[in-house]
Amino acid sequence: MELGEHQWQALRRIIEAGLKGSAEGLSALTGGAIHLGSPRVALMPLEVVPGIAGGPGAVVVAVYVGIRGDLQGHAMLLLPAEAALRFVEILAQQPPGTLRELDPVARSALAEAGNICAAHFLTALGDATGLEVMLTAPVVVEDMAGAILQTVVADLYLGGDWALVVETDFRSGRGAPGSGVRGHLLLMPDQESMARLVAALEAIP
Amino acid sequence: MSGLQSIRVHPVPVGLGEIRSGRDGETLVCYGLGSCVGVGLVDPVARVGAMAHVVLPDSSLSRGVPAEGKFADTAVPALVAQLLRMGAQRARLIAKIAGGARVIHLPGEGHLDIGARNVEAVKEALRRAGIPLAAEDTGGSYGRTVLFHTGTGQMVVSTVGRGERIL
Repeated sequence: MELGEHQWQALRRIIEAGLKGSAEGLSALTGGAIHLGSPRVALMPLEVVPGIAGGPGAVVVAVYVGIRGDLQGHAMLLLPAEAALRFVEILAQQPPGTLRELDPVARSALAEAGNICAAHFLTALGDATGLEVMLTAPVVVEDMAGAILQTVVADLYLGGDWALVVETDFRSGRGAPGSGVRGHLLLMPDQESMARLVAALEAIP
Repeated sequence: MSGLQSIRVHPVPVGLGEIRSGRDGETLVCYGLGSCVGVGLVDPVARVGAMAHVVLPDSSLSRGVPAEGKFADTAVPALVAQLLRMGAQRARLIAKIAGGARVIHLPGEGHLDIGARNVEAVKEALRRAGIPLAAEDTGGSYGRTVLFHTGTGQMVVSTVGRGERIL
């Protein structure tokens, strides 16, 4: 699928607003500054989605939310297993290496963080396009990347082809540049929703 | 170095919706199966085998992307045809399957349980093709990486934190 330059510009502005909102939301959650930076944005065919983040066999942690309303589909925050631990440390303002496993408290922190990011991205999307979207409660899963993503990809094969993937750094305000963790934010609407989204992007002045 | 070690080092990946085959000495692998099902067929006498990475239960769900390996109902006949071309005899073929999990579980979202539908559809396709199901490791809520030895039909299923199973 090809987006026109105008649609890409609109999408980039939405993603910037989403990153900014997510950083504010995460900073409010933790009580310290969290920065999201160095984003890379791509539209990917669904077939290649299970291969991001280290390949289908790599162990990752995903925070999954369903999208409902004017857009139907899936959104996910995806982090390599080790990065997920570092991310929780950043959120909890603990030194690197403190957390050894994803305990229930860490899972709950990840669920909240994933929910915040998804909510800010979809709010930015809704503000820009006028589309009304809601999110289901977040679910945290730790498993092979392929296994997690296949469920969503298989569901979308029934009615979708493309995923919007935003790769970004999460870094504590006290951390040096490069001290953050890199994660993927995935937005995977079904086919009808993607068409609606592309039309809505086109209509943004 | 023994043959087994060398195959363990260089398995051929079978991607989403693909079918791969091999002769004795070659191993195929589906990495990180979730709701997808790895379907391995082997003729242990001719020592040829093939594996499909099935994504969806039924090709009627296809929206114009032709990929035989993607759907349970088309993958099984395609596997059989491939193995017959390689010298297998239909009456000697046996099947082993793994995968079909429900990794993301949302309350009240039955349609996301594509794993269970995939497993059922693969079994139905095997019944229709008259191929006995020799072993399976399916369902659950966790991912699987599945190695398939094309010569013997040995299937090795590994998981994250749940160990390894040999079928």
